[in-house]
Amino acid sequence: MKILLIEDEAELRKTIKHYLHQEGYVVESAADFNKASEKAGVYDYDCILVDITLPKGSGLDIVKQLKDKGSKAGIIIISAKNSSTDKIKGLDLGADDYLAKPFDLAELNSRIKALIRRRNFDGNKSIIVNEIEISSEQRLVKVNGESVNLTAKEYDLLLFFISNKNRVVSKNTIAEHLWGDDSDQMDSHDFIYVHLRNLRKKLMEKGCADYVQTIYGIGYNFKVN
Amino acid sequence: MKLISKTLIYYLLVSLPLLVIAGLLSYFLIKSELRDGTDETLASEKTHAEKLIRSLNALNPIYLTIDSLSTIKLSSGSKLKSGYTDTLVFNVEEGENISARILRSYYSFNGRTFQITLLKTTMEEEELLESILATFTMVLGFLILSFVIVNWLLSKTLWKPFYITLSKLKKYDIKSHEQRHFSSENTIEFNQLNEALSKMTDKIYLDYIQQKEFTENASHEMQTPLAVIKANLSLLMQSPHLKEEEMNQLQTIENTVKKLSSLNKALILLSKIENNQFVDSETVSIKALVSRVTDNFAEVIQSKSISLDIESSEDILVKMNPALAEILFTNLLQNAIRHNKGEGKIVIAIKDNQLEISNTGEPLNIPKEEMFIRFKKNDASKESLGLGLSIVNGIAKFYGFKVHYSFADSLHRFEVFFS
Repeated sequence: MKILLIEDEAELRKTIKHYLHQEGYVVESAADFNKASEKAGVYDYDCILVDITLPKGSGLDIVKQLKDKGSKAGIIIISAKNSSTDKIKGLDLGADDYLAKPFDLAELNSRIKALIRRRNFDGNKSIIVNEIEISSEQRLVKVNGESVNLTAKEYDLLLFFISNKNRVVSKNTIAEHLWGDDSDQMDSHDFIYVHLRNLRKKLMEKGCADYVQTIYGIGYNFKVN
Repeated sequence: MKLISKTLIYYLLVSLPLLVIAGLLSYFLIKSELRDGTDETLASEKTHAEKLIRSLNALNPIYLTIDSLSTIKLSSGSKLKSGYTDTLVFNVEEGENISARILRSYYSFNGRTFQITLLKTTMEEEELLESILATFTMVLGFLILSFVIVNWLLSKTLWKPFYITLSKLKKYDIKSHEQRHFSSENTIEFNQLNEALSKMTDKIYLDYIQQKEFTENASHEMQTPLAVIKANLSLLMQSPHLKEEEMNQLQTIENTVKKLSSLNKALILLSKIENNQFVDSETVSIKALVSRVTDNFAEVIQSKSISLDIESSEDILVKMNPALAEILFTNLLQNAIRHNKGEGKIVIAIKDNQLEISNTGEPLNIPKEEMFIRFKKNDASKESLGLGLSIVNGIAKFYGFKVHYSFADSLHRFEVFFS
């Protein structure tokens, strides 16, 4: 799985690259418009993360260039400008997703995975983790072949855990993923706990192992061997 | 008080005493001139009377009347004071006393003394004075009248540029910076005034823009460093060797970064609203909006044991940006949840083009006028950023809605009047 990261801020580029590398992706990066344009023109990627404000040009032009070329790569715009006009413009040009800075790496990771899943219609549609099978198109979850009836939030939580399996995800990150901007509304940590408790119960009723580890003070880790 | 009224008052304050003094002065001058004239006539009549006495040469006393009241007669011993005196005489024809001037003198001829009494009415003199006074009053009235007219004409023409400038200044809105063109005039003072105003408003506008851009840029520039911190925190959390204390510290840092980034987002949102960056609008159903947002918060509301009551008889359709509509109502609802108490209630009413949301809670600690000011918090310890209501206010202002707050029967009530 090859990813091109176009981001001018060195520290952020380094960190994202490191994180995605850990996730098992092959990551290449570009720091300015010309480099990015060159790489995007020459090589094929599965996913391209592009910042809008770049030295020497706009990330939106790169999206346009990729689409003109007929590229099949999934495109996620990452921008410091959380502006709806940029978002609409980017999506109109053919970008698949839009993520406003500052974002969580776990969130970025889950967006990349969702994007790749949507792209690979020809391949395996369901996500399988041991006894858990998720068909993301129908939002269906099966444990040992038996379907589990989950609420929307429980489903989102499970998918988010699985997208970030074997990683510590903080409660704040989960809250932001589940509730978006509304997660500012205090007590979201308690709700995560409630949803998680119900999710665990429902999964274990069907004979699923308890994969969720509580990491004291921070959050949770969906540990799969 | 208008400029024209003020000028008039000052004019009257100066001109009225002046006119009175001038009037009195003329009165006395003319009066004494007229008296001198009368006296001269009387004196010449006296000479005439003496001549008459001499020419008669008679031994018998003469009683001669020059006119009806003037007499020459033999003096009978006791002498009256000779000279000019003022007196009143009864005029039979007019049936009233009229003022007169008398010249009395004694003249001795051939051993006999004659008393000459000459009288002249001063009626004409008084009439003259009266007409002079009348003229004065008329002149005064005319002066005032003409001054009012001249002043009015002046303010119409001479002061016209001033009033144009004034009305432009009144309409001046720094956000649009229209009306900024103060035209040049042929009156030097007004020209200078307009130049100074143009310069001043341009400067203020420039400062305003710079300040606005600063807020916007500063917030945007902060997003990337925040992203770096957040990303590195995520990486750090993956470390398997973290001690409990370090985990707690990480959690604290993460919470703070989250707060900072929410703050930043809110500030960017505010400046976007103020910069009119939400132009596209749709017809928004308030009823649908309320049910969607309250659904989103259903778990939160439930967990706090707050009862929610929605009264909607009819829907309100508002033309506005759907994202802003959502933010507006979400902030109001969040506010009602955050500042509620356990087992409290929230009542939402949609009616008559107005959205009302009330909640139970403690009374305000801050004056209610300060509620919509940025970073004003009723309770500093609460998790709030202190920006929610100023965002509500900003959105309402942008669309010309009115937001009204009141507190009664331990219920906080926000009313949004859609226009």
